[in-house]
Amino acid sequence: MQEFKSIKDLPEIELFTGGSSACAGCGGTMGLKLALKALGPKTIIVNASGCMTLLPLYPTTPLKVSWIHNAIENASSTAAGVRHGLDMQGHDDMNVVVYAGDGATYDIGFASLSSAAVKNERIIYICYNNQSYGNTGFQWSSSTPYGSETKTTPRGRENQIGTTFVQKDMIKIMGAHRVYAASASLAYPVDFLNKIERAKNRKGFSYIELLGSCTAGWNYDSRLTIKMSKLAVHSGMWPLYEIEEGILNLNKDFKELKPIEEFLELQGRYKKLPAYGVQKLRSLINQHWTELKEYNGRRYV
Amino acid sequence: MKQTLITGNEAAAWGARLARPQYIPSFPITPQTECIETLARWGADGELPNTYFDRLESEHSVMSAAVGAAAVGNRVFTATSSQGLLLMHEVLYIAAGMRLPIVMATISRGLSAPVTLWSDHNDFLDQRDSGWLMFHAENNQEVLDMILMAYRVAEDHKVLLPVMVNMDGFVLSFTDEPVTIPSFEMVDKFLLDYTPEHTITPDRPVTIGAVALDEYTFFRAQNHVAARNALGVIEQVQDEFEKIFGRNYDLVDEFMMDDAELVLITQGSMSTTTKAAIKEMRADGIKVGLLRLRIIRPWPASAIKEALKNARAIAVIDRNVAPGKGGIMFPEIVETLYYLESRPLISSFIVGLGGNPQTEEKIKEITHKLMEDLETGKSRVEWNDVEES
Repeated sequence: MQEFKSIKDLPEIELFTGGSSACAGCGGTMGLKLALKALGPKTIIVNASGCMTLLPLYPTTPLKVSWIHNAIENASSTAAGVRHGLDMQGHDDMNVVVYAGDGATYDIGFASLSSAAVKNERIIYICYNNQSYGNTGFQWSSSTPYGSETKTTPRGRENQIGTTFVQKDMIKIMGAHRVYAASASLAYPVDFLNKIERAKNRKGFSYIELLGSCTAGWNYDSRLTIKMSKLAVHSGMWPLYEIEEGILNLNKDFKELKPIEEFLELQGRYKKLPAYGVQKLRSLINQHWTELKEYNGRRYV
Repeated sequence: MKQTLITGNEAAAWGARLARPQYIPSFPITPQTECIETLARWGADGELPNTYFDRLESEHSVMSAAVGAAAVGNRVFTATSSQGLLLMHEVLYIAAGMRLPIVMATISRGLSAPVTLWSDHNDFLDQRDSGWLMFHAENNQEVLDMILMAYRVAEDHKVLLPVMVNMDGFVLSFTDEPVTIPSFEMVDKFLLDYTPEHTITPDRPVTIGAVALDEYTFFRAQNHVAARNALGVIEQVQDEFEKIFGRNYDLVDEFMMDDAELVLITQGSMSTTTKAAIKEMRADGIKVGLLRLRIIRPWPASAIKEALKNARAIAVIDRNVAPGKGGIMFPEIVETLYYLESRPLISSFIVGLGGNPQTEEKIKEITHKLMEDLETGKSRVEWNDVEES
């Protein structure tokens, strides 16, 4: 298995050409471009309806790999069909990769995802998590964090918090399927691509979740995507860790987390979140971080 | 070739086995269950050597996996019923739009609510506009034969569309009938290896299921043209089928139609009951015949017009209902005959929903009502099993 040591090791190959319909600074798009460096040309992307579905716009595509889009809730089962189909044709050297947003992953597509994971299908599932239904204009999904404002959880006189729910702990859930489950960040491409390498070499199902920041929905300057991704990791909003065979491994450890305010202030979606909301969000994050630290190197699920 | 007593579900499983599909995604539902159980058992016994039998968590996922495997060039088979077919509905359009020659057995069962396990055709006909070709079998032999023919039609490069082969739940699915099971050698002669035109391989990137803006209508039109092309292909395939297997099929099934003035139009297994009733009525001197709709999509309009050219009165017997409208096939027949110079009288009868028994007596009753209609010159739309109020 190839292991990347530094950013200089990352493959030069570009399978995502210039000229796509994605927004400038889109975390999901940058994630796909990066992922394809590790995945290589013998890859078929199985996409769930979402922002990325707009990349191949008939009769053009910015991608130099195969692509199939079926619908929103069935990327995993489509991928299972593709995987077995390719294996039956003797093409077992192809990577079958789901690239799906969080709505398609956490919510509507969860049944098919869980099914493919339980059967340990040889699929790499990458969820680009923009913490909302991004393509429809930023509505609440079950990965939207507490305190974020969305179009369907707006702040108002009756509700100053916006999203009052706490997001699903998806990596723990996927870890409980006894598959490889990991979080990843655009600010740590070496870590991200090494996780893809590990997934490629596994005989079974791998789940990698990338924080795919959304310039339009999070409402921030599109130049700040990488900075935003880095701040998310340092503040504990997006810890980098993996679970394999139930064992947790924290990939980026910090003695002390950065205050979340720096991350929140850059974005429109947390604007006007009252102090008690910030405090609740901080305590949720600290709680999760403490748990990860406590279980680091031990059985987590 | 051997004749044996098997259920409709087993006949469908045999049709699939003989076609040597590479991928069978599955999910159980009554009354289809026995079909996929049979395939699963064969798989476990090593009797499906080049097939991957897969289990998924829903019918929606079954059809999604079918799309995935077909998109990379596999021959695919699956089966479902009722609510499961409805759950697949979204993906049926996608399979047709992607022009994937999937073959699926559907075992008709009425739809909730209330729950019923018994048969009617609302589940099948609900998929009417999905772009799939739709065949409807009368008996277990035809189930097997239709599945073999379905692959030939679906995989023809002039067509490239998925096909569903329907049978009536329980009436066929769980009833033993004598079925001639052809040998693999014969089937291999009939069903050539499937060579897909546009498929994904490691060396050739292909995009499937992209967004199309103004071109959308162009793709839908191609779907329509392909379905129309299928009519000619079905006829060719039926001829070839007869040469190899000796059984003859036409676009529509005609029974005692030569001098028939009254015509009953049916689908599926109730046609057998209808034929028995017609024989008895013929003995009483009533000039009645049957037209069975075997191919629902593409719609064999010319064959239907030809068969009905001498009819004076027609009863469309629908085992389905479009609430607020009436039987689903009734307006299709009316439309087909609308442009004829002399139009027969056409009445509509809704019967047999949710397994409500289809008896010879009911068929005779309908025929007598049709004779009354011919006398009064007024057609009727009537719900046979209940009083409309």
